[in-house]
Amino acid sequence: MSTQWLAVQSFERSQDILGAINTLSIHLKLRLAGVPDEERTQAAARARETLTAFFKKLDATVQETQRGEATPLLGVDPRLRQLVKSFVSAKRDRRRFQSVLFQRMPADMVPLFASEQEADLEALVQCLAEFRVILEEHVYEDTARILGEI
Amino acid sequence: VQEILRHSNVHVLHELDRLTTLLRDAPGVQMTQLAPYYTWVKNACEELRQSVEQNLRDLDLGQSGILSAIASETQKVIRFFYMLDQRLAGPVLRARPSDRLCLSVLRWLHEVHPQTQHIPAAVSDGQFASYPDPHWPTIYFMPPSAQTGLLYLPLFFHEFGHLLYACHEPEMDALVEQLQETLAELLTPGIQREDLHDRIEVEKRRTIVETWYAWAQELFCDAIGLTIGGPAFAHAFSMHLQMLGRGHFYLPAEDLARRDHPVTWLRIQLLVHRAREMGHQEDAEILDTRWKTLATALGIVADYHGFYEEEFLPTIQETVDDMLTEAAPVTYSEEMAGSSARPSLFPSPIRLLHRAWQQFGENHDEFRQWEEQEIVAFLQS
Repeated sequence: MSTQWLAVQSFERSQDILGAINTLSIHLKLRLAGVPDEERTQAAARARETLTAFFKKLDATVQETQRGEATPLLGVDPRLRQLVKSFVSAKRDRRRFQSVLFQRMPADMVPLFASEQEADLEALVQCLAEFRVILEEHVYEDTARILGEI
Repeated sequence: VQEILRHSNVHVLHELDRLTTLLRDAPGVQMTQLAPYYTWVKNACEELRQSVEQNLRDLDLGQSGILSAIASETQKVIRFFYMLDQRLAGPVLRARPSDRLCLSVLRWLHEVHPQTQHIPAAVSDGQFASYPDPHWPTIYFMPPSAQTGLLYLPLFFHEFGHLLYACHEPEMDALVEQLQETLAELLTPGIQREDLHDRIEVEKRRTIVETWYAWAQELFCDAIGLTIGGPAFAHAFSMHLQMLGRGHFYLPAEDLARRDHPVTWLRIQLLVHRAREMGHQEDAEILDTRWKTLATALGIVADYHGFYEEEFLPTIQETVDDMLTEAAPVTYSEEMAGSSARPSLFPSPIRLLHRAWQQFGENHDEFRQWEEQEIVAFLQS
């Protein structure tokens, strides 16, 4: 009876979020550079929805974590718990993570997803790029658990 | 970096071509029971191809600002290709005629539960495990020898429990959260001193409470196994794990911390408790006595280092009961009585699995011959 189920569910979730981040990032960067990208408009809208829901959920768990080291995280699977801990730890690393996301809370991203202001879009692109780093490190661990390492 | 990305994407396309060819010629393609799974894998390959082609089109734009996102997308695509190649394609590529038995049981299992009817199932080689994500087809792993017989098929029901949990995740997580809250209260002493010793105890309590997330799910899956499979599940579970050494009876505190499974002996005790409640007195006694006898022979006294205490039992059982109500699995008693409210196009294996363990207990010597005949009859039904 192995525990790959945790890694598999986390892998699928992380890949899904990474896909949404990449789709939206490419779409916004092309838009900011004045390059037409109509074919990705619908996918970008779906990515916004996916990410808005994800960051709202993340926010609740991050708030729980920040209540104190002694407070256990309840009803949260171990891999998501690890992702949240990585995020909270990254918030203290001002050298690597400087975007609004890491200065504030995940829920503060939600207005950025709804905004069409150029400054907000640029801030959003930076937030997504930095969060992608955390997520890529996380999914690396899931992949190693499922497929092993060479 | 643009050239490295282009080269990597083109390479995945070539590898994808090879995999698609292998799949097309694989033995699993001819198996009707595997058809929904094969269709999913084929579609996944096609979606992957479209993602790679999108990456190549994005590279053609020549925009340096999007290269980091394309690099991430390329890595994502390659990771998923590896998953397809090394795990998800396996059930089709390695398919054997003997898979019909496992696939018949899994097809019935998914079909009689409304929440899993649309999820294809497949079987692959490996230790007992599953990939229970409702967005993917479910792969059930089982050792090759076990796949050809009846005795260990009930262990699929435990793995199916993980899928049911995933299908009801928000509700299940809420129930587990309540359990963790109660355990935290039970573990908190009346008087706290706020010194170094107290801080260590606080950390230990946090570890225990967080560990119970995965343990609650495993105990729920054991309960699903027993609810669907009845005594056959309990015997299969016990037989598979009882001779794997003292680690299944006792683990030091540091090994229990954030471990994904409770110690097996504890799981057996909770299964025995639930089996008695369900009216399987005789089978419960057999299991209880067997594990106690083995523990005595190994000189082991039950000790879970605070991760489990007798006072936890009522809240654990109550939580698992609520989780079972939420998941609403088919029940052993209804299947045995032929009174299931969820009739299926496919034959129920429950009576057969029950008879297999009875036959195995009564007549070891003639069991293999009996089993072969019964499997043939079941597959023809």
